[in-house]
Amino acid sequence: MKVGVAYDVIRWEERAIIEAIKKLGHDVRPIQVNKKIFWLTGVNGFSELDFVIQRCVSFYRALASTAIFEEQGTTVVNSFNVIRDCEDKLYTTLKLARNSIPVPRTAVSFSREGCVNVAEELGYPLVVKPIYGSWGRMVSRALDKDSLLEIIEFREYMQSPYFKVHYLQEYVDKPNRDIRAFYFWGEVPAAIYRVSSSWKTNTALGGVAVEAELDDELSEIVKKSGEVMGGGVLGIDILESRNERYLVSEVNAIPEFRNTVRVTGKDLAKIMIETTINNIKK
Amino acid sequence: MKKLECPVCGGHLEVPDDAVSGELFEHDECGAQLELEVDENGDYKLKEAEEISEDWGE
Repeated sequence: MKVGVAYDVIRWEERAIIEAIKKLGHDVRPIQVNKKIFWLTGVNGFSELDFVIQRCVSFYRALASTAIFEEQGTTVVNSFNVIRDCEDKLYTTLKLARNSIPVPRTAVSFSREGCVNVAEELGYPLVVKPIYGSWGRMVSRALDKDSLLEIIEFREYMQSPYFKVHYLQEYVDKPNRDIRAFYFWGEVPAAIYRVSSSWKTNTALGGVAVEAELDDELSEIVKKSGEVMGGGVLGIDILESRNERYLVSEVNAIPEFRNTVRVTGKDLAKIMIETTINNIKK
Repeated sequence: MKKLECPVCGGHLEVPDDAVSGELFEHDECGAQLELEVDENGDYKLKEAEEISEDWGE
């Protein structure tokens, strides 16, 4: 097969994916999208590719280039719809909740008064997240009404309009870890705990990866979440609450997996390519 | 391996022959995050890596 890898920078993961494609005996075509011109009114020379793995670290580059590949007839993993839906935390939570997947209690308000009213329902502390973004960036915890109003004030002065969409979520009193589980085409090849003394456990912020046990309940929630979001190849973040057990917090459409490979020994790049090829052939 | 100049400190850095345009490297001597550029002639050079943007992530 001829496999494209769309990227803007090559990190450990993109290098591992390119090597895996070669080792499995396929042709690989790295496509550095930020160095290319894409004609919307003409052909761009991708028709010989069987599919493209989308790996741009920039969401807008990923979404735009995926739209072009797909509309010009090339299959992309993950698809435009999956990348768009997973990037938007509002939409992800909405879609998961509507499909009976356990998620933290969450509301959206467009006003400061609305946020205060939501907080009265959820109680303090509560979490305020940007609806777009990653790596725990600008995710805030309001400890009381004063700190909530301060956070909202900062958001109201941000230039990006999406900061005026206030996504408020119950604070889940979890152990000093959360779970990152991988969903590849209906299977769960690996999962890790992200252990941290901070309430934000992202490995990008210093959370330490430890291999996680995959019990049946966790596997089922990961599989169902992946299916609902339409993946593909996903990284699913899960909180362990004191009473409900598992709550899905986020779904990542272009997941990083370096730390998971390091602690689990699973060759996720190879598994990703093998399972993708098997599913593309169907 | 190809020996390239660090655009930040002027020191040198070795990158593998099969490195791909856009590949990230950290220069051990000065700590700079560098990105490989390969031009249309196949020549290699390093530049400072792009800074993390608001839409970067997973």
